[in-house]
Amino acid sequence: MYSLIEKDIISQLRTKEMISAMFIFILLVFVILNFGFFDVLQVIKADKKVAGSIGGLLWVALTFAAVLGLNRTFVSEKDEGVMDGLLLAPFDRSLIYWSKFFSNIIFLGVVQIISLPIFVLFFVSEGFLAELGLLILTIVLGDLGIVAVGTLLSAISVNTKARDLMLPILFFPVIIPLLIGVVKLSGFVFALNADPQKVSLWLQFLILYDIIFLIVPFLVFDFIVED
Amino acid sequence: MNSSRINNILAIILIPLFLIAIYLVFYYAPVEQILGFSQKIFYFHVPLAWNGLLGFTIVFVASIAYLRTQKKIYDIVAHSAAEIGIIFTTLVLITGPIWAKPAWGTWWTWDVRLTTTLVLWLLYVGYFMLANSVEEEGKRGRFSAVYGVIAFIDVPLVFFSIRWWNSIHPVIFNTPSSGGMQLDPQMKVAFFFSLFVFTVLFAVLMTLRIKLGKAEEDLIQLKEGS
Repeated sequence: MYSLIEKDIISQLRTKEMISAMFIFILLVFVILNFGFFDVLQVIKADKKVAGSIGGLLWVALTFAAVLGLNRTFVSEKDEGVMDGLLLAPFDRSLIYWSKFFSNIIFLGVVQIISLPIFVLFFVSEGFLAELGLLILTIVLGDLGIVAVGTLLSAISVNTKARDLMLPILFFPVIIPLLIGVVKLSGFVFALNADPQKVSLWLQFLILYDIIFLIVPFLVFDFIVED
Repeated sequence: MNSSRINNILAIILIPLFLIAIYLVFYYAPVEQILGFSQKIFYFHVPLAWNGLLGFTIVFVASIAYLRTQKKIYDIVAHSAAEIGIIFTTLVLITGPIWAKPAWGTWWTWDVRLTTTLVLWLLYVGYFMLANSVEEEGKRGRFSAVYGVIAFIDVPLVFFSIRWWNSIHPVIFNTPSSGGMQLDPQMKVAFFFSLFVFTVLFAVLMTLRIKLGKAEEDLIQLKEGS
């Protein structure tokens, strides 16, 4: 499995196509959000009570960028016939899923590490550092769920006629509960209003969601790659 | 008597059944005191919603059965149930706002049940589009079955997340009907009769759709054979 992840990382380092596309896309979404919500953003800067809404902007950018990257997960495998080789290889097929899961986590993480400071610079007025730990925890739990569901569904969508068109349609409805959780938690962070009881409720919800969608691929991935 | 004959008879019986249901709803059941005439839509709205959910539950069960046995019939059943479930849920989403406008003063609110129903609809439209986007027989069945399972697992998560989201927000709209709507015995008769009629409609549509699915399957087999 390590060698499979290594292969993805090496090919990514050579072309940088996925990471750079995701990053530029996020920047573009930030610019569009600024103009799309110009008046709202002025209100948010002035009033702490509604500052939580910035969490929504962050996750719009992050999930759209994630879909962009997730779409590519199995494309090279499919187009260059790597998949047939992997299926013939003498190891458990779910390893194909897990190696892709970890490479996607790494790619998405790298993009977020670069783009999060820019987000703060553009949209966040001050003082959110107090809750930085919670924000990072939220993003980690969010990423686990997004990548768990996205990697599984991209293995399906790469086999359809519509391909890149299919993934968002399948992916977004499934991650809506996760998005509700991460938007809520990021809202607490940016509004500097983290009531421990609510925070722990939402954290537990995210953990539950992640566990469910990390178990599901174990049960169903074999059916997707079966030939 | 073969099954298609039974189905034809049921389909014909549906006509008087619907007429009786309409009579019970509009003439037998009294007009609700607070909501007035608009409440009548509930006799159609709620049975549609229940049968829509029944459809999606069948998708889930048939999907698991298909993944375990790889028998074509379960694939056909799952697709049929999804299609009919989508149609029923679409009608739920149309009848809901028609009622909400006079009752709540707005066509749409991001209330728990409304939002969950909309996400449910989106999930199964995704299922439907997926099934139509895969050409190879076996793959189509397996992919849509996997998505059928994922979608069904997701529904309770959607429901609870929206509920918790809302509980922290103030309640904007007062809903006199939410919680225990007091149903008068005559209303109950009309409601349960309507529920029964819609369930028969669901069963008839299911049987027809499964028959169609089998016929399509036979046609493919014949084409390949020749």
